[in-house]
Amino acid sequence: MAESPPLSRRDFLSTGAKLGAVIAAAPYVTRGAEVGAAAKADTVNVALIGCGEEGRILANAALNIPGVRFQAVCDIWPYNLTRTERLLKKFNHAAQPFEDYQEMLATVKDLDAVIVATPDFMHHVHTNAALKLGKHVYCEKLMSNTVEGARSMVVAAREAKKLLQIGHQRRSNPRYQHARDKIVREGRLLGRITNITGQWHRAVTEDFGFPNGQGIPEAKLNKYGYANMHEFRNWRWFKKYAGGPVSDLGAHQIDIYNWMLDANPRMCIASGGVDYYKSHEWYDNAFIIYEYATKDGVVRAQYQVLTTTSAGGGYSEYFMGDEGALKISENPKFTKLYREARAPEWEPFVAKGFIAKPDTGEGAPAPVKPWEKPGVKKLGGPSKAATVDVRETAQLSAWDIPVTLDKAIHQPHLENFFDAVRKGTPLNCPGEQAFASAVTVLKVNEAIAAQKMLTFSPSDFVV
Amino acid sequence: MATFFEIAIASHPEAYGRQAAAAAFRELDRLEGELSRFIDSSYIARANRLACGESITVSPDVMECLLIAADLTLATHRAFDPAYASERPADLDPELPPFTLDPGAFLLTSRALRLHLDLGAVGKGYALDCLAAVLGEWGITDACLNAGGSSVLALGSDLPELTGWPVGLGAGDAYRTHALHGNSLSGSGIAVQGAHLVDPRTGEAAPRTQGVWALAPTAAQADALSTAFFILSPAEIADLCAQHPAIGAALTRDDGQLELFGALAPGA
Repeated sequence: MAESPPLSRRDFLSTGAKLGAVIAAAPYVTRGAEVGAAAKADTVNVALIGCGEEGRILANAALNIPGVRFQAVCDIWPYNLTRTERLLKKFNHAAQPFEDYQEMLATVKDLDAVIVATPDFMHHVHTNAALKLGKHVYCEKLMSNTVEGARSMVVAAREAKKLLQIGHQRRSNPRYQHARDKIVREGRLLGRITNITGQWHRAVTEDFGFPNGQGIPEAKLNKYGYANMHEFRNWRWFKKYAGGPVSDLGAHQIDIYNWMLDANPRMCIASGGVDYYKSHEWYDNAFIIYEYATKDGVVRAQYQVLTTTSAGGGYSEYFMGDEGALKISENPKFTKLYREARAPEWEPFVAKGFIAKPDTGEGAPAPVKPWEKPGVKKLGGPSKAATVDVRETAQLSAWDIPVTLDKAIHQPHLENFFDAVRKGTPLNCPGEQAFASAVTVLKVNEAIAAQKMLTFSPSDFVV
Repeated sequence: MATFFEIAIASHPEAYGRQAAAAAFRELDRLEGELSRFIDSSYIARANRLACGESITVSPDVMECLLIAADLTLATHRAFDPAYASERPADLDPELPPFTLDPGAFLLTSRALRLHLDLGAVGKGYALDCLAAVLGEWGITDACLNAGGSSVLALGSDLPELTGWPVGLGAGDAYRTHALHGNSLSGSGIAVQGAHLVDPRTGEAAPRTQGVWALAPTAAQADALSTAFFILSPAEIADLCAQHPAIGAALTRDDGQLELFGALAPGA
């Protein structure tokens, strides 16, 4: 860099580090690099309905996918709408902004697909309207806050003969797919799965507010089904709009219970309450037990969602069998495999690429002590083979999954949807399967209210 | 970011301030998911897995942070270089960085056998600037933001009797305060993490052992410059401060006293 004095004298510090100030930062900056894949990929014209936090995450992930073109964005809150419009504009997507989804669907004619990321109570309204106009739909989970709403979406997709993918994105995560297809099914490393536990523990959070001057007039809120700004911003906590924490957080993981077991539960018992927050309607903590009848036998599964403590390690699903256990999470640091002592050795599965021996952290070989190093003279006594070293109880051996998600967390699930649109790839979470998960999840709130065990019949999960 | 963040808000009702701070902290979580090399799915972790010649599309925030980092790398003659530990191909011109950026297409391309981007010395400052932007959207004009106790950014100060948010630097007899007002002060040293700073130009441990501070208009700049000031000679620091009047530096001398430059110098 010795030859860079002119650059170092640039006015790099006076512009608040705006992008334009550093365009000249050669030799780092190149322009017009060929984006080969993007140029060649079939274009899919997309609209986004719902530009809040989830919509923004989906838009960011979809921007990484070649050929996806945002033609329109829709939100009733100008604050969110403008932010998303600006994001898309940076990537040269000239998305038309709309307040009203009906106007958007009527105006933008050449849409192939619609992404729905609105509050749960509007999912079926937005999804069904798009399907009826012949658009494929990717809709955020939970499918709906009512079984009827979810059912209507499956019916609408069938009638329209269009694709409906629901955003249970773990199903497209390569680590989850590897865990199910290779470790649990092909290798049967867990043996017979007997139990599951799962959790999402989240610390106390402030209610969502909004910047002064950015409130939506109450008449407009009422027109779109919201009582006031507080409920609009904190819709997840109110019964009219959503299913509460078990639906917002638990649905992702309870869906994975069904997906991993390839089964739906036959009973549900749950306890929960509005025990902490004063300005919410939904249960802020819940403990749930499901019972599954699988072809291998009964699986009893527990799940807990807590919204007042982060203690106990975040969010994960823990599948426990008689030969091994799989702790898995969207967060790789909460993912681990454990072998029961009675199980066959797992080394052969390392060679097959199913699992890996950790280099560091839990399960890694203990550091060699100086007196254990080769060449160090050992003390006399019986041979090692004839000796039982008495120690504290051994830990279960710990192993890793040798698969890394190399993309934004939601990207593979969106890619699966766009592959289905373009070339008929099977959806990883079609409406029918997401319906079964919605039925599983929504039963929890019913069970808490009823204060008794509720049962499912197999027909409950079928549309 | 593996550190703590604090936001102090004055001159606003508490409930409003809390909600604004909560919005800023949600922005922090989002940025961490994009910038942290310890999160497998972050853009930086993914960039570090690229093969030589491969590209990825990055987010606007990642692109902006990398452009700021590139800018500061050039301005400090590589005393700050978040990609210095990259494994370079033998035929890569030593004058060329191990990655390129195409801001129009949001593309990052690796020129390294193994790219090793670590935004540790600019990311938390960049995050503070983004958090301040969120507070700005909320109309907050009087706030002080702190990342890990080592980078502090102040937005205005509505109290007429104060010239800014007071922050302390130096130790013992040399302790002094500086009023931050729309700018940022960042410190670097080896008291907390030990000798963790390396001169990117030589790969050797940084020669300095006493604390340094950088004053700059943005927290990203202050954060990166405090790392660079740990490496640069007093003459190089004086030169940089002379070129950029908004920059200040403080170095702890062997006798514990502070040597002050630019905007931190007496009378500046």
